[in-house]
Amino acid sequence: MPSYTLRINNVKKTVSTDPDTPLLWVLRDLLDLTGTKFGCGKGLCGACTVQYKGNPVRSCTLAISSALEGDILTIEGLSPKEDHPVQRAWVELDVPQCGYCQSGQIMEAAALLSKNENLTDNDINAAMEGHICRCGTYSRIRKAIHLAAGKLEK
Amino acid sequence: MKSTVDRRTFIKLTTAASGALLVGVYLQSCESDKPPAMVHTFSPLIKIDTDGWVTLIAKNPEIGQGVKTSLPMILAEELGAAWNKVKVVQADYDEIYEEQWAGGSYAIILNWDLMRTAGAKVRQVLIQAASKKMNKAVSELSTANGEVRHLKSGDALPFEALLTEATQIPLPEEVEFKPLDAFEIVGKHVPQVDLDTLVNGGMRYSIDIKLPEMVYATVLKNPVHNGGTGTWDDTATRAVNGVIDIVELNNKAYGGRLIGPNSPNFVNGIAVVANTTWAAFKGAEKLKVVWDNDGAQRESSDGLMERFRAQLDHTTVERKDGDITQAQRNAASNYEAVYEVPFLAHVPMEPMNCTVDFREDLCEVWAPTQNPEALQQGLIKLFGLQPEQIKIHLPRIGGGFGRRYYVDYAMDTAILSKKMGRPVKLTWTREEDIKHDWYRPASVHKMTASMDGNGKVSGWRHILANASRKTSLGRDGRPAGTEIDEYEFPAGFIANLQLEYGHVISDVPLGQWRAVGHSATAFAVHSFLDELAFLNKRDPIDYFLEFLGPARMVPVVDEYAFDAGRLIAVVEKVRQLSNWDSSLPKGQGRGFAARKGAGSFIAEVITVSTDKNGKVKILGVDAVVDCGVVINPSGARAQVEGAILDGLSAALYGEITVKDGATVQSNFHDYRWMRMGEMPEMRIEFIENDLPPRGLGEPPLPPAAPALANAIFAATGQRIRKLPIKNVELGT
Repeated sequence: MPSYTLRINNVKKTVSTDPDTPLLWVLRDLLDLTGTKFGCGKGLCGACTVQYKGNPVRSCTLAISSALEGDILTIEGLSPKEDHPVQRAWVELDVPQCGYCQSGQIMEAAALLSKNENLTDNDINAAMEGHICRCGTYSRIRKAIHLAAGKLEK
Repeated sequence: MKSTVDRRTFIKLTTAASGALLVGVYLQSCESDKPPAMVHTFSPLIKIDTDGWVTLIAKNPEIGQGVKTSLPMILAEELGAAWNKVKVVQADYDEIYEEQWAGGSYAIILNWDLMRTAGAKVRQVLIQAASKKMNKAVSELSTANGEVRHLKSGDALPFEALLTEATQIPLPEEVEFKPLDAFEIVGKHVPQVDLDTLVNGGMRYSIDIKLPEMVYATVLKNPVHNGGTGTWDDTATRAVNGVIDIVELNNKAYGGRLIGPNSPNFVNGIAVVANTTWAAFKGAEKLKVVWDNDGAQRESSDGLMERFRAQLDHTTVERKDGDITQAQRNAASNYEAVYEVPFLAHVPMEPMNCTVDFREDLCEVWAPTQNPEALQQGLIKLFGLQPEQIKIHLPRIGGGFGRRYYVDYAMDTAILSKKMGRPVKLTWTREEDIKHDWYRPASVHKMTASMDGNGKVSGWRHILANASRKTSLGRDGRPAGTEIDEYEFPAGFIANLQLEYGHVISDVPLGQWRAVGHSATAFAVHSFLDELAFLNKRDPIDYFLEFLGPARMVPVVDEYAFDAGRLIAVVEKVRQLSNWDSSLPKGQGRGFAARKGAGSFIAEVITVSTDKNGKVKILGVDAVVDCGVVINPSGARAQVEGAILDGLSAALYGEITVKDGATVQSNFHDYRWMRMGEMPEMRIEFIENDLPPRGLGEPPLPPAAPALANAIFAATGQRIRKLPIKNVELGT
């Protein structure tokens, strides 16, 4: 099997796997970075969202052979002590219920805020549309993104 | 109020741990200059160490309903612990805990008295120990913030200074509970435990377990419900890099289909074992199978619904009050309407998975299960194990909604681990999850009301026809119960009332879905009441309040009465909260429903607008909840929001159909649930009272569908009698 070197959370990692292996399974099964979750396998629910070159991507449909050119950021690398403004806002508003979708939601929200800090509800809804939370934490997520935007400005 | 917890549980869980456990155990200290803390175990639920840390055991599975926080809060309250010096540890499955499951909104109901008793007993021995040390009367001492306090003098001793003495004192038989107005933790907004690992990716769900020598697996199940295994060509599968083995999962080899919710039944199929999950998925996709479907009925949804409708005339009477025939004959008018609801899947975000290490001496399991006892019983039946040969860990669960009441995926995994002789982590694809769920039963409801000349209801007949979840596991089974039981509202309120059930036998696997029978019956009952109000030209809330009659205890069955006053109170409050009596612009409408569930009372008003293309927009939801004492307002509000959103999603979109015996839907593109942009504003209020806390995970769900359908009627004049609403042509 071919060998690939990826840059994940600022660390170089080398793995041997088939070229069509989705990044999700490289992270979870080969590198034990299990904060990134499997939800649907078809890019339909957002649970597996990570950042690639600063953009949110669905790692369940991104083949490893297409993820070699830029930095990959996962929930484990978002901040050294869960003190990213988005994570702080999530804690402050006690957002999660089961929590399973939250890594993906947080990675999407962090990418969104890195590009635009002045967000309306509609902006947030549009950016988060690809994420399903079966527990219904949507209103707390939306509030937390606004709260995190406020923390960024300071 | 009679406690629902039996004596046995109290005695086991609130007496001192066995002698061996009573001896203090030293913890490894991280800091070399500090002596290690010694842990003193007071009971199976409470430990205190010499650094003052209190460890509380969370006994029930955490599926996102918040019990890992709320149950220890009750323990900490009665103990008088400082919440910021509490560590919460999730229990493994152990018979000592009893009632160690998640379902029916029962966690708080079953554990309120138990947690209070367990906490109070340890508080009392700490006070006794302090009494000697401080030379003060027991009656003058109390606990708070991790200390025993003498209020008169201001003296206080921290728990850790009392441990040696306290562990010598036997736990008392009788306890005195703290008065509710002295509560310092329960009733406060407490952020859930584990928030740090929930936001940094560190939380290990069952699907994240990794063991040495572990291999990965997935399954391809026969898509036809109640189909057999078959024959297959696995040449292409074996050619996939990383594929290790292909294993038949044939339930005939394990006694075949068995009846009952605790059955170890699993669905026939083929498993692929590999060195990564991806290799297993890829391998399973390449299997070429000829399934054996000789024993299957090969049903379709249309045909099944037709059979349910036909069964409305062939029923058994589940409850009979007065004389419905006479009431219908004497009525000024009789009004009839038929309502239909579809099958629903659960789709928790964490797909079905399990990890098992089946060794010679021990079968060790990590499972996202709401029902560990069923899992244990399943392993006993399948493999002839003894209980002590089974160890079940209960990692946090990525949602359940009733799906994980069933343990089929765990049985798959145990078979694979035994066969492979090493630990196996099984992960189902989302497609397998949707195609092999235990669905909320589809059903048909025929409602008939008999009224006098003023529209007052004198007779009520509700006939339900479906394939009951209680016979979900075999076509030969008879129902152990039905989705319409003797408690169904308005039993007790109407003198002439008849509840009937028509049973259809089907191969579609059926099970518990959030709020269980209420999710369907509430839609029929509360839509019908709205129709009656309209028919009689009355305001729906006025009509409902008259239907309930005065505030009183309404006897429903022996030893169970319905407190009409509490329902009336939430209805009156939601009327104010929603500005029900104010007018709305054209094209908008408000709908209402109110109901009791799991001991709690909920009233909801939903406001919608519809455009000329028939697109419904939910503008807002107002809900008033009386669940007794609110343990944790943060978690309680989250449960109400989530349950209402679930009810709305199901009403708008939720639909599983079957064709030629197989489920049609396969993933989130064709089994849609609401997204963030559709989340309406919710105004939620709780009634404050001192009544015992009741269930909250489910009760807010059932009123949502009828309130929404009634709002659409108010906005458009179009009555919704069949869910989901996405299939109804709405144009004005």
